[in-house]
Amino acid sequence: MKRLLFIILGALLILPMVNSAYAGGPPPKDVMKGTFLSVDDTARTAVFQKVGSKETQELILGGDMTPSDVRVNKKVMVSLDKHAGENVIKSIDIMFLDMTLKRIIALLVIGLIGGLLSGFIGSGGAFVLTPAMMSLGVPGAIAVASNMCHKFPKAMVGAYKRYKYGQADIKLGLVMAVTAIIGVQIGIVIQKYILNHFGNAGSNLYVSFIFMVVLVFVGGYVLYDAYKLAKGGDEAKVSRLALRMQKINLPPMMHFKVAKVTISAWITIPVGLLTGMLAATIAVGGFIGVPGMIYVVGASAVVASATELIIAFIMGAWGSIQWGLSGLIDIRLTLLILAGSLIGVQLGALGTTYVKDYMIKLVMASTMLIVAVSRGAKIPGYLADLNLRPALEPQMAHTLSQVSFWALVTALASAGLIITVAMVRGMAQAKAETRGAEVISHG
Amino acid sequence: MDSKVTKFDKNMSAVTFAEAGEFDTATEFLQEEETEVAAAKISAVRKKPLGGMVIFGAISLAGYIALMTHQGWVSENYTTGGWHAAYPVVTALIFSFVHGAFASNLLSVLGLEAKKH
Repeated sequence: MKRLLFIILGALLILPMVNSAYAGGPPPKDVMKGTFLSVDDTARTAVFQKVGSKETQELILGGDMTPSDVRVNKKVMVSLDKHAGENVIKSIDIMFLDMTLKRIIALLVIGLIGGLLSGFIGSGGAFVLTPAMMSLGVPGAIAVASNMCHKFPKAMVGAYKRYKYGQADIKLGLVMAVTAIIGVQIGIVIQKYILNHFGNAGSNLYVSFIFMVVLVFVGGYVLYDAYKLAKGGDEAKVSRLALRMQKINLPPMMHFKVAKVTISAWITIPVGLLTGMLAATIAVGGFIGVPGMIYVVGASAVVASATELIIAFIMGAWGSIQWGLSGLIDIRLTLLILAGSLIGVQLGALGTTYVKDYMIKLVMASTMLIVAVSRGAKIPGYLADLNLRPALEPQMAHTLSQVSFWALVTALASAGLIITVAMVRGMAQAKAETRGAEVISHG
Repeated sequence: MDSKVTKFDKNMSAVTFAEAGEFDTATEFLQEEETEVAAAKISAVRKKPLGGMVIFGAISLAGYIALMTHQGWVSENYTTGGWHAAYPVVTALIFSFVHGAFASNLLSVLGLEAKKH
């Protein structure tokens, strides 16, 4: 069994050299970083200097751009429109926003609640952090990269805390992470296929559709399970599916000490692969990884959510290096989110020691279902892009995008609220119990 | 030394009361001592890491101030790509150690500890 672990660890170390995994999709290719030195209003051209190069080049403004869109002497990201010809600018994004007090406070608060959720259910935060940063005006690629770079140290701190509480199964985490990294590769291949055949809108529709189906189906089941447990009031039992899976005696068998599970590697591998594929598609692998570990492998919700943090750490670290190589991480954003989320993640982790298993499932289910609403609101727009339905009226489009964003905020806020209430209650109960115990021992 | 004397005194007082037939007062003396020992034990276990919080908090705050006052330099050097990828990754790791230690101590000082089983 030890040998197997070494093989897996070896594979983990070698894999990055042979292949490259990008959790959350690969960094964009047709993007140049640099500064505009001057702009010619009449010729609609601008002189651009790439980062790290002395030479300049002349770029042509795209059809729907005005010369005022070009900000001179500011570090920008320029994406080119390859279909419109050579050196035609598609869009310009300012790489580094000025940090206003409002932005700083927003980042601290989102970080704190995102961290709380992450420490409690093993994943979360990412699905709202990236859109939230984008709504503050951060370019998409930078938002994804900075979020990724904040995710892995946060997951590391959370995993360490929960390992200390005896909740994290390191071996299960490693096995899942390795298979998930392979799953990411498969996910990217599928994504590329869809992008090539159905274009950007098709890809968006695919992502939203998968997101919706997975979240509604899995989230609904987790909610049903949590409801049953809360009503029955008893401890969580291992699911029937997991018990059946554990009976399959197909070598190599693996034993996971903390999760208290012995199961064939042929069962854990598909769960890991799916986690990775989902991570590459919707950037939140934990939404399938945690339920997978609970209902298919047979770990408890506490162990599964703790183990997910190990997976998030490994995958996040690898993703951060990839995004770092393309120089897209805004470390200021990363560190500001970390300031709040490192407190949140530890608070969430210690919260799990006070609550019953179903509470973790309840928080996970409600988050997944509200996030599903957010994604669902985007589908009509993508359908219109593919000409599968008439174009949306501007009013309607605006409403839908508002619904989408506020659903994310609601998901985060409600999860934060449930965790806080459950934790305060659990702590009060624990205090009352110790007091009772003291009275008995003294009396 | 002081505590030993008081302990001795208390025990002797308890004995005196017991001999005089006042058992309730005798047990009261002994119990008082017991609770004191228990309280001392609890405070030893739950000593709040105020020092740790202040030190790590100060380092962390200094780091954030340095980051915000040198934004231009940081943005320039952290985003050139290539092997410079190590800059943001290592910085995030160091911050997570320092700030994570601060957060951990902060929660302890606030009295938020994991449930002991």
